[in-house]
This record gives sequence, C-alpha cells and structure tokens, in this order.
Amino acid sequence: MWPALVEAFRLVFDPYVIGVCMASAVFGIFVGAMPGLTATMATALLVPVTFFMPPVPALGAIVTATTMAIFAGDIPAAMLRMPGTPASAAYTDESYEMSKKGQLDLNLGVNLVFSVIGGLFGVAILIIAAPMLAELAINFSSFEYFWLAALGLTCAIFIATDDPLKGFISLFIGLSLGCIGIDPAAGYPRFTFGSVELLQGISFIPAMIGLFAVTELMRGSVTIREKPAIIAQAVGNIFKGVGGVFRKYWRNCIRGSVIGTAIGALPGAGADIAAWISYAVSKKFSKEPEKFGTGHIEGIVDSTSANNSALGGAWIPALVFGIPGDSITAVVIGVLYMKNMNPGPTVFLQNPQFIYAVFIIFIIANLLMLPIGWAAIKSAKQILRTPRRILLPLILMFCMVGSFAMTNSVYGIIIMLTIGLIGWALEENGFPVAPIILGLVLGEMFEQNFMTSMIKSDGNLIGFFNRPIAATLGVMTLALWAFMLWRMTQPKAEARAT
Amino acid sequence: MRVNDIVAGIVLIAIAVFMFVLTLSFPPFPGQKYGPSLFPRILATGIIFCSLLLIVRGLRTRRGGAAMITLAPWMRDGTALVSFLAVPAAIGAYILLSDYLGFYIISFAILTLLFFWFGVRPLNAILIAAIATWTIHFFFANLMRVPLPRGLLNNII
Repeated sequence: MWPALVEAFRLVFDPYVIGVCMASAVFGIFVGAMPGLTATMATALLVPVTFFMPPVPALGAIVTATTMAIFAGDIPAAMLRMPGTPASAAYTDESYEMSKKGQLDLNLGVNLVFSVIGGLFGVAILIIAAPMLAELAINFSSFEYFWLAALGLTCAIFIATDDPLKGFISLFIGLSLGCIGIDPAAGYPRFTFGSVELLQGISFIPAMIGLFAVTELMRGSVTIREKPAIIAQAVGNIFKGVGGVFRKYWRNCIRGSVIGTAIGALPGAGADIAAWISYAVSKKFSKEPEKFGTGHIEGIVDSTSANNSALGGAWIPALVFGIPGDSITAVVIGVLYMKNMNPGPTVFLQNPQFIYAVFIIFIIANLLMLPIGWAAIKSAKQILRTPRRILLPLILMFCMVGSFAMTNSVYGIIIMLTIGLIGWALEENGFPVAPIILGLVLGEMFEQNFMTSMIKSDGNLIGFFNRPIAATLGVMTLALWAFMLWRMTQPKAEARAT
Repeated sequence: MRVNDIVAGIVLIAIAVFMFVLTLSFPPFPGQKYGPSLFPRILATGIIFCSLLLIVRGLRTRRGGAAMITLAPWMRDGTALVSFLAVPAAIGAYILLSDYLGFYIISFAILTLLFFWFGVRPLNAILIAAIATWTIHFFFANLMRVPLPRGLLNNII
C-alpha cells in the first residue's frame, strides 16, 4: 500500500495536475452558480477537454469541478431564490427566507462550511469502504454482478422517481440504446441498419451532452429574453455565527452526511435526492418543525451537508463494481473505460496509485472549497450578472465541438442532437432522464453478465440463486419489484403520479 | 408539450414492436435456444408491458377530462418558439454545413445569428462571435489536435 500511496502523492502534487484542478474549480464554481447549468452538465462538458489528459488530471478535473458546483448552487438559491443546481432545490425557499430576514451572510457561511464538512465525511467513507468492498467483490462471479446491477438499477428508479412506471420505461429505453452496435456475447451487429458508425454503438459522452446540456439549453432559450433578477444585498462576514450553528446543530451535520453518503452510494440517486431526503428527515426529527420554511437554519445544515457528502458516496459503487452512484459517476465510469482503467475490484490491485490519487484530490478539493467558495460568494454579483444570451450560444458551440471531438466526426453531433430531442420530449412528459443514462452505461455490462450466467447455468434460472450472495441480492431485487408492482396498483400512488 | 399517457404508450409500443421484429433475424448461439436476440427481446417486452399499464392509466385520466395534447404556454408565443427551435436548428446547420464551410465560418455564423436573435448589440455580437470562434478553434484544433473541418478556407489557412 505505501509505495502506491507515495506514488499517488507524486502524481497529484504535479504542477500540471494542480493547475488543471484549480481551473476546474473555477469552472465548477461558475457552472454551479449559474442557474440552469448543472453539475452533471459541467462533467459532461469537461470530458472532451480531459479526453487527451492522463488519468489523474482527467479524474481530478471532474472531482474538483463537481465538488465546487454542488456548493456553488447554494449561492443563487439564497440570493435569487433560484437553485444553481438541482442539488440545492430542496432548501432554496428556506435559504431565500433567511436572506429576506437579513441573514444572507449566515446562510452562505453555513452552506460553505457544512458543505466542506459533508464533503470530507463522504470522502472519508469512500476511503474506508471502497477497498473493503473491493476485497469482498473480488470473489464475485457473473451471477453476483448481474443481481447487483439489477438491484442498483431498480433502486435508482425506486428512490429517484416518483413515477416508477415511467422510470422503468426510461431505463428500458436506455438499456435498448445500449444494445445498438456489436453485441457483447456473440459479436453480432444489432440495430445498426447497415451503418458503419452505429457498429461502435451509441457514443456515450455525446449522448450525455445531449441529454443533460442540449435539453437544458432548449429550455433556457425560451426564457432568455426575460430580465435577470437583481441582487440587492451586499455580503459581509460570512463566517460570523457559523461556530454557534455548529455547536447547536453538529448532530444534524453528521446525520445529513450519513444520509447523503448512503444515498450517494445507492446507484442512480445522487446529491439532489440526498438533499431532499435529509431535509425531510431533519424536519421530522426537529424539536421545532414549525419553524421550517420560515428561514430556519436547521434543515439547511442537514441538507447542505448531505448533498456534498453524496458526491463521495457515489464513487463507492462506481469504483468497486463499475455501477454509477449518480449521473456524474456515470460519466466517470465512461472516462475510466476510456483510460483503460476498467472499474471493478481489480483496479484496486492493478492501479492502486490512481485510486489513492483520486482520494487525495477529493480531500484537497473539499479543503480548497473554503477559500475558493469564499471568493465566489464575494464576487457572486458579478458571476450572476453574466448575461445568459451570450452564455447560451457559447455553451451550445462548446457542446457541438465537444461531441465532435469524442468521435472525430459529425456522428457525435448527430447522436447529441437525436438524444437531446428524445430526452427533451421524454422529460417534458414526466419521464426521468437519469435512468436512460444509467441504462446506456450499464447496458453492456448488465447484458454480458446476464448472458454469461445463462450459459453457465445452461439456461436454468435457478442457477441465478445458487450462490449465497447472489441469492441474497436476487431475493432483494425480486422483493423490490414485487413491492413496486403492488404500490403501482394502489390508488393513492396513482393519484400522486398523475 | 405534454401528450396524454395514451399517446406516449402507443408510440412506445410501436417502437418496441419494431425492435422485437428486428431481433427475429438475429442468429442464436450455436447449439443454444437463445442468442444476441434474448436481451433486446426482454427489453422490448418490458417496454410493451409498462406502456400497456401507462395506457390504462391514461384512459382513466382521459375519463376525468384530460386533454390528449397540452401545449406549453410559450409555444403560442412566436418569439419564444423561434428561440426554442433555434437550438436544434443551429445544431442541424452545423451537422449539414460544417464540412463544406469549415469550422471558422460555420461557428462564426451560428454564434452571430444566435447573439442577434437573443438581443445582443450587433457590434458586441460580431466581436464576441469572432473571439469565441478563434478561442475554441485554438483550444480544440491546436492544443487538443481535434480535426475540426477546414472547409472553404482550406487553402487560405
């Protein structure tokens, strides 16, 4: 372990890597603070840029940018009542109420400090849990991986969508898109319609840019002529009073971080769900639930810790099993494959220095958040004044060139446009888009494990339950399916879904 | 634009059936009953099953008076509609014309037109479009060696 750790430090403390991380930090803060630009979008736009970098700076850029973006989303939430990223939506109203009461400084200070603490907590769990799980996972066969992926995908729909029926359809669409191209078991070209380019499958990053950036640009263009909101308040000393909040609510911070890390680690649900759930938990167990919604700091402590801790948590299944914990790590898995570091337990044995380097960058990014976040809050007025009518065309051009760069042909842009339009239409009709990307990323691995298991058990489904861990995971998955089917038939669930 | 779940369900079933039909020509593994067609068939069945449930649900809301298609308010506003369509139109133009015109011309044209339409002052629009085009080209083509198309300017630069 030690030589790998030393090597990891050497890899990280390289002027080039540090430079890339600093630039990504600024980029992440900006994207996070601009309403309508999300942390997932930041990641998708970063990948074409990091494509030609070695693994450590490429992963470092994603880690730093997303860490900053999730915090920066809190700034416009408090100032403009517009969450910068969906992860801040859970407590946007609460934050804005605080600023109306003249507590903008305290709100931003709490958001910054507790984001750092939550983020570090998530990383700590990642550092402890990932290698332990990897040791367990080294004995997994295709049966375990099949059930793990099935359970993960089901959880994603179970937690992250309020309409499981549409969630499943999205997932099936994603998995079907993943079927396009050479099939992983027999090498037969499927659904290619004779096109040479479709043989390589749906290129993942252009699809991601289409799904998370182009859809956002289309929605944003509709309101582009509206007058931007103006921030009246000046920001003073943001750290005043944060110590008092910590002494009073440190339990909330820990609870939020635990919930955040756990939800982050569950496949499919990320920072935004973590914030919603921990806010609800905070209200439920609070001594003063009546104060929630009136500009009360308690729920913010929980949820701002939770959304940053979810980032670290999401890396656990991504690194150990190759199953993304959220849509950001879905991109990360794509990047890992591109860099020939196939995620899974063996990466901990073959390339431990890269894994340790990611851990170190994660810690540095969270610590860097204090000074950079402070600077961002101080210059928030200037950042938020960036005119969207200039930003939107620039991002659009960047999306196109980025997608082009992933395939070195307009094929990437065609994918981006097609998936973007499909994604927009689906989202408009209440179909969640995150399961599509999970299906697209996991499709090949899922099918491969399924087919291998089928061949091993000679087509007998009982074989899927012959090994103890596989059986446990299998029963859990089936139980969850049964429960969801049962819930779908309940009239109450239907009233909520429509 | 929201369509009733019935419409969504029918479209999805049509796609899934098409997908299933395509799998019929896939060869099985030698000596096995299944092959590359198995997984897509399971998915197609899943989509059809869920879509049927969706249609049942849609029929129920339809009885409650829900419309088949509901347009978003901005779709009746001509300016907003053009702004919306400008995004896919710009991408389409890039796909069709970039090879012929080359990156410099197509990028400058798309950016300038979008800036104009979104209400940026003309001089600013042209300036920003020119600087952005050059910067993106420098970054992707020179630093990252992405073969951005040269097009008409092939002999000049």
